[in-house]
Amino acid sequence: MTESFPVLLAVMAAAAFLCRVAGFTLMRFVPVSPRVEAALRATPLAVMAGITALAVQSGGLAEGLALGSVVGLTLVLRSDVAAALLGVFVVAALRWAGV
Amino acid sequence: MRHECAPYAGMTRALFSFDGFRRGARDGVPLAVSIFAYGVGFGLVAAQAGFGVGKAVATSAAIYSGSAQLAAVNLLQTGEATLWALFATILVINARYLLFGAALQPWLWSAGPLRAYGSLLLLGDANWLMTMRRIRTGEEDRAYLAGTGAPITVGWLAGTALGAGAVSVLPRPEALGFDLMLACFATGMMTAMVKVRADLLPVVVGAVTALVVAHLFGPAPAIIAAGLAGAGVAAMVHR
Repeated sequence: MTESFPVLLAVMAAAAFLCRVAGFTLMRFVPVSPRVEAALRATPLAVMAGITALAVQSGGLAEGLALGSVVGLTLVLRSDVAAALLGVFVVAALRWAGV
Repeated sequence: MRHECAPYAGMTRALFSFDGFRRGARDGVPLAVSIFAYGVGFGLVAAQAGFGVGKAVATSAAIYSGSAQLAAVNLLQTGEATLWALFATILVINARYLLFGAALQPWLWSAGPLRAYGSLLLLGDANWLMTMRRIRTGEEDRAYLAGTGAPITVGWLAGTALGAGAVSVLPRPEALGFDLMLACFATGMMTAMVKVRADLLPVVVGAVTALVVAHLFGPAPAIIAAGLAGAGVAAMVHR
């Protein structure tokens, strides 16, 4: 690797930028039918479920318990943000306790 | 020009106000706390790879995606990276942004091209999730997305600088549970977004797809596969 840092940075930034705008730009040419709208509405739920499933799988008991508590806390507190912050506290406490 | 489709776009541009920006910025603050910790993590790695504070912060500003930056720094550390390999690595790791952008498009495009593409520069995993959730509950102000990006940008760059500059004295972010922050937000927002029984379908499809794809091909394609599978099944069962 002989390229200077600004060249490396420009190449990396271009790739990241391409990902940011390409899906958005292509979607401009897709008519949003009710079927497409249903697909777009489902996308974040599936992505969030994927993130959660991978975190439970790659983590251990502490991570599983913490994310489980986030589900419960969101339903009880009716605030997803508060539940998420408490979830971080739960996992930190469980790890500190050696779970 | 594309054909505009109701209900997202009419003849006039959608609302894009300072009020919406401020609302987004307020909602972005808790996310920024986790992004700050993630930035510290990236700064630590970058410093160990021989990046100074300036280079580390420049990388965080130019790429603005933690997972892609970590992969790029790992690749650079091998000493055998070509420019194409670097480009391709970031393309693969950030492929999920294709999906994020596509899902935002019908809502965001009606703000006009300059505001829409400008907002996309501040797009990340956490504020995409947050914004999609708010769109579902009726957020009309397109400045909301850029607003969520503002505190996140500050947290990301400040965290990177701190991590790269103070590498020897910091506690590891894992000890404080910050590595699980994005997953916690994803879990919480997912729970809040499930309103009717039909919403459970993309949840189950996404979780199963992510686990299977991660098992077969590793974690990088798992998230985009989950999103595509959830979208595909939702389109199929729609009537």
